[in-house]
Amino acid sequence: MSADSSRVLVWDWAVRLFHWLAVLLFVLMWWTAENWIMDWHRRIGMMLVGLLTFRIVWGLIGPPSARFAAMFAGPGAILAHIRTLLSGGHKASAGHNPLGTLSVFAILAALCTQVGTGLFAVDVDGLESGPLARFVSFEAGRQAAEIHEISFNILLALVALHVVAIVSYLVFFKDNLVRPMVTGRRARADFDGAPVADNKASPLRVIVALVLAFAAMSAVWFAGGG
Amino acid sequence: MMNRRIMVAIAAIAGLSVLVACSKPASTEAPSAPEAAAPAAEEAILPTGLTAKEQIELRQAQLKKLGKAFKTISDQLKSGSPDVAAIQEAAASVPVESADMADWFPEGTGPDTGVKTDALPIIWEDRVDFEQKIADFRAASDTLAATAAGGDLAAIGAAFGDTGGTCKSCHQKFRADD
Repeated sequence: MSADSSRVLVWDWAVRLFHWLAVLLFVLMWWTAENWIMDWHRRIGMMLVGLLTFRIVWGLIGPPSARFAAMFAGPGAILAHIRTLLSGGHKASAGHNPLGTLSVFAILAALCTQVGTGLFAVDVDGLESGPLARFVSFEAGRQAAEIHEISFNILLALVALHVVAIVSYLVFFKDNLVRPMVTGRRARADFDGAPVADNKASPLRVIVALVLAFAAMSAVWFAGGG
Repeated sequence: MMNRRIMVAIAAIAGLSVLVACSKPASTEAPSAPEAAAPAAEEAILPTGLTAKEQIELRQAQLKKLGKAFKTISDQLKSGSPDVAAIQEAAASVPVESADMADWFPEGTGPDTGVKTDALPIIWEDRVDFEQKIADFRAASDTLAATAAGGDLAAIGAAFGDTGGTCKSCHQKFRADD
């Protein structure tokens, strides 16, 4: 990766890989659920356990633009951001803008709810169930399945909103937010000389997050009976 | 400046409308008309001596027992060390609990009673096929109980899959999507 001084790294490769894997797995989960291909729904769900664990760990130990603590913006900052948007102004953010942060937290929370309830969900006939469903009663499993369905609708709405927001930035502010999520970089000139933090992923930290993600997957796998 | 403000507002509205369209649960589409006519149909006494409401609740309770038995079997099959006795008990309960399944669905216990049920009217329009599907399920669950008694886990798994298949093939045609 040659460092081009005119383009600055805003998303490290781990965040980008997480993002696009999440998109892929989300589509596959939807499709396997619609077509009731439950063995694959469970397998891919297991991958999501690992993927989400990775992202949560990465939100704690990753570079600045990946970190949850650094993303937090008070209601003041969010309102100011909305006011700027409505007045037609727009400034590039290195990382998540205050509204985008809300979206990240909401989507991550919805994904966690989705995967968490899926682990315990039982279908109405008691024939199909999540890997941890044997630790809960039929009724509790049904309850988990109900929440699984409601939270999917919420997740779908959040994803739709996310896509509409990305398209809006492109159309109204001529700001392509998809490309940085692919290449990781955007023009340094976009930031008007403001310093941008070093967002490079540390290989050692990636390994730590990967180990923990793998541990979470294995824990669910073994608890579910292998 | 003004133009841009309008455009942003349009984008926000478009976004919100997508949000609303996607989050609307499909189950809210039930028309309210049957509910108005409900009390009479709900309380009508059937030849079985039960009201439609009681009959529907009875069969739902029975079907739930079957669901619980299937969950027990599936839980055990998935666990590293299956409890064969638990499987046998659950498998044996299925033919007993479902012995009179065809009688759980007398005329007048469909969705037009106003009672919440996923039973589709086609049950009473295509009764021959409905009863055939029940017979298939009964045969498969007899086999499952007998196989469970034998204790061979691989065979139990196969018989369980077959039984589940008969559930599905009936539900596909005769039960509303839940």
